[in-house]
Amino acid sequence: MNYFISENIFALNSGTEHAQARRVKVFAALPGEAALYVTRNYNRFLDRDRQTLGLRQDQVLNMYDYFQQATRFPRREQPLRGLAQIPLAAYKIQGFGPNYSLLLANGEPLARANIMPGTVGLVGDINYQDRSGHLLVRENFDWRGFKSSVDYFHPQGARARTVYLDPAGKPKLVVVCMNRGGQVAPTLVQLLDYHGKNYRFASEDELFQFFLDQLVAKDPQARLFCERRSLDRVVGAVAAKQKWVVFHDAHAVQGQLLAAYRAVLTEHPEQFTGVLVATKAQQAALMQQYPRVQAVVVPDTAAVPVRAPLADAPRPGHVLIMVGRLAPEKGVEAALRIFARVRAAVPDATLVLRGYAQSAAYLTQLKQQAAALKVAAAVTFAPYVTGSKLTQTYAGAHVLLAPSRHEGLGMQLIEALSAGTPVIAYDCEFGPASVVSPGVNGDLVRPGAEADAAAKVIKLLRSPILWRQLHRGALATASRYRPAEVGKQWQAFLKAHPVV
Amino acid sequence: MFFFINQNMHAEKSGIEHAELKRLALFNAHREPCRLVIRDWDPMLHVNTRAAGVQDAQVISLFDYYQRAEAVSEQAVSLADLDFGAGPLTRTMEPEKQRALLSAAGRLVARVNFWPGTRQVHSTEQFDDFGNLYLVEQYDRRGFVSLQQWYTPDNHIGMETWLTPDGLPVLEKYRRSDAGGHHLASWRLTDRRGQVFQFASLEALTQHFLDDLNAAYWDEARPNVFVLDRAELAEWGITRLRRPAYTVLYLHNAHTANAQDPAAPLLNNHYEFALNDLDAFDAVVAATAKQTRDVVARFAARAAAFTIPVGIVAERQLTAPRVPVAQRQFGKIVAFARIAWEKHLDDLVRAVAIVHRRVPQVTLDLYGYADAADDYQARRAVEAVIAAEHLEAVVHLKGYTTHIDQVENQAMLFGVTSRMEGFNLAVMEAIAHGLIAFTYDVNYGPNEIVQDGVNGRVVPAGDYQALAAAMIAVLQDPALAQRYSTGAYASARRFAPAAVWTQWQQLIQDAQAHWPAKLVASRFRQPKDQPKDQPKDQPKEDRP
Repeated sequence: MNYFISENIFALNSGTEHAQARRVKVFAALPGEAALYVTRNYNRFLDRDRQTLGLRQDQVLNMYDYFQQATRFPRREQPLRGLAQIPLAAYKIQGFGPNYSLLLANGEPLARANIMPGTVGLVGDINYQDRSGHLLVRENFDWRGFKSSVDYFHPQGARARTVYLDPAGKPKLVVVCMNRGGQVAPTLVQLLDYHGKNYRFASEDELFQFFLDQLVAKDPQARLFCERRSLDRVVGAVAAKQKWVVFHDAHAVQGQLLAAYRAVLTEHPEQFTGVLVATKAQQAALMQQYPRVQAVVVPDTAAVPVRAPLADAPRPGHVLIMVGRLAPEKGVEAALRIFARVRAAVPDATLVLRGYAQSAAYLTQLKQQAAALKVAAAVTFAPYVTGSKLTQTYAGAHVLLAPSRHEGLGMQLIEALSAGTPVIAYDCEFGPASVVSPGVNGDLVRPGAEADAAAKVIKLLRSPILWRQLHRGALATASRYRPAEVGKQWQAFLKAHPVV
Repeated sequence: MFFFINQNMHAEKSGIEHAELKRLALFNAHREPCRLVIRDWDPMLHVNTRAAGVQDAQVISLFDYYQRAEAVSEQAVSLADLDFGAGPLTRTMEPEKQRALLSAAGRLVARVNFWPGTRQVHSTEQFDDFGNLYLVEQYDRRGFVSLQQWYTPDNHIGMETWLTPDGLPVLEKYRRSDAGGHHLASWRLTDRRGQVFQFASLEALTQHFLDDLNAAYWDEARPNVFVLDRAELAEWGITRLRRPAYTVLYLHNAHTANAQDPAAPLLNNHYEFALNDLDAFDAVVAATAKQTRDVVARFAARAAAFTIPVGIVAERQLTAPRVPVAQRQFGKIVAFARIAWEKHLDDLVRAVAIVHRRVPQVTLDLYGYADAADDYQARRAVEAVIAAEHLEAVVHLKGYTTHIDQVENQAMLFGVTSRMEGFNLAVMEAIAHGLIAFTYDVNYGPNEIVQDGVNGRVVPAGDYQALAAAMIAVLQDPALAQRYSTGAYASARRFAPAAVWTQWQQLIQDAQAHWPAKLVASRFRQPKDQPKDQPKDQPKEDRP
């Protein structure tokens, strides 16, 4: 079994989760190469969120689900008003809009029941309080309709502990929160009645290591792929025959090793079989600087090119897009300045920034910047989407702008090319140069060369002939990232590194 | 089904517990189904009830009921059975503290406390890796974790969780303070059907429990009868049951603060609430006819009133060979009572001091444990009189004993100088053993159990000189002494099982007589319906 290991699947995912999920799906087509998307974090919405990544329930394995004995549990919609635990002859459920209801006894509130987000009337969580309104206990329901965890609170209001239940209601895990350096924080994790024995751990990561040990113990052919730098130390400590670290980003910026990469590159390279990167450039950089590290190039992502017929003319409007998390390292601020230059030359140009912001403050800052540049009316902050909605975003754009400071590959580049959308990118380490070929499917400019980037965009907007040429080139490039192609490359990798 | 509601059944029992146990035996002898209902959590409950001769099947505690722990086969839990999940542990035994310390890598993981004199686990105190005590697990004596006490960062119990023997949490108690800093307890129950209820007090939880019992033991042919032996346990809930039942307030003590004055404006605190709501009960029971008359006269309640002695003299005792006075130790006076303020035993010693001057052979043995209130003030008062009167060789504090037959078949006189009584089982036992009883004229019990000039003497309350004079007269007249002793044996017949059962039957008949109307009133039955079942002479035990 191939275990692709990360923290979570979120409602809003980054490229790491998308890449990992696509890999699991690519593996599903490979003979004899089963794969699982393994996550550490507790997530009672996992069964919903995995669907946004197109994963089946049996392609995902979460640690809490595993210990709660709820890995294979079909979803059953559980209406609040049909919940067996609420004695309707004693308490009245009074709804207050679509989001919550109160449990009332003779008019006095006993509990607040929040509706499962995005549903109509399904139970999400129930907050029981005393007659002075102190929150006593919160019961959390899994997306699949069973009570999954219970949070208890200290009298001062901090969380006292969380008990994780199996679907029959029996406690399987307890996280205790007590004094730790003057703060109330988790101090103990207890695993109860796991194959008849109890265990205790000082942290969630210790439990996670135990969990991975359990997987490996049952599976001598286990191959571990660590996708998140926050998990390298845990995966490194697991005794498995093959352990790979998957880099989704540049490990260094301007020659400075990023702290998150120390564990695998400088501290414990011997714990891992090797490092997987998406580009030869990053491989070369690693081999030169860290000779103890085996670096191997494998495709980071896969994308299905659009099937629509080739466009003969540029798409209507002059739409620039940027796709990805709105964060400083993605170069959003540079994108706004580049766009302002473009708009000065092409007055009907617009910019769509699609993705979630790293924080509300940062989003405000970006909006203020757009206003200061006098382009606010032409800039759309568009929410995170996946699947066909995202494909439409690419397919409706003239050009993708990618002024990132660093990238492992840049999934949005592949996705744009797959939609036939040319790319203008900063030639940062390490991804863009391996994807973008100047004059073929887009262009590269020196990082920070905003005027140069703007000039290239303007040229592309003004030249239908150039656009058609790069559009065709984009689709041609994208065919290299078809799942079948990617699968072949992975197959070659797996064959070259058998588990023995 | 009869439910006798009490707080607990400790190894050391007071009169109420003794009365309940005797009642239970009486009901069992007449095959009238009944249960001891215990409100408090007690890990020793079943050990104590078994020791008292009660089968587990006849005990329902509120906690057991919701913990599904009414019938649990006992198993020993020792150190080796514990699994803290911490890998290999270092043990340090501390026999003098009856505990063991378990540590891993130099860090304390748990303290394990043993039941006294055993190596079986009483409780475990558990610590996290940062040295915080976060959890204490208390074991039921039958060998399972019954109660978890979860601690706060500032080392108080923040909440408590009661578990089923299989480890499912079913009952939770949360401790919080209100805006004024007053302690608030909130309860959350997950019942057998998985329904979750919240209660703002133990009283509200108790009410819910009584409703559950009433439904679980529901029988349209016969009402469930709830006998409240300690009013404060369920005075709120018992009068607010959802289904009909027959509810009984049983007075084990005087109903007024001053027992000598049945019209005293202030009531006995314990009964104040229930007596003010007496119309909500079906019946009130007092142990003496005198108290019943006083209660009826004062409260004019709609509740039916019955006199049912709380004491029963066993048939074995009634038919035992009688010991003539001449074979008893001349001048031996005994008293069986807690050495407490209301027992006023220093007066008894004062009386004995007077008797001793005329009859030097007189001796007094006091049986009973000393009340610790006010630093054993009652015992100190007794000891002060002994010292002042130089009675060290005459009066002895013997402590608590269960060897009643042995003591009372040898002694001659029995003394009561209480300020008040609820019944006084001890003087009933005394006359049943042929002891000549001397008592102050105090309510309720002594002045009815002791019949002046029949089985002893009743003198004005507080008049120890009169008490002494009465004792001297008997000690100086062997024929009179034998007459009183014979009268004592005979007068105990009033408390024979058959006599007491006759009183209960009157209550049962009243319950049965009102039952069809109650069923109709609560729409369990239509007015024209005939009762589906006539009560059987020998009702069968019927457990749901």
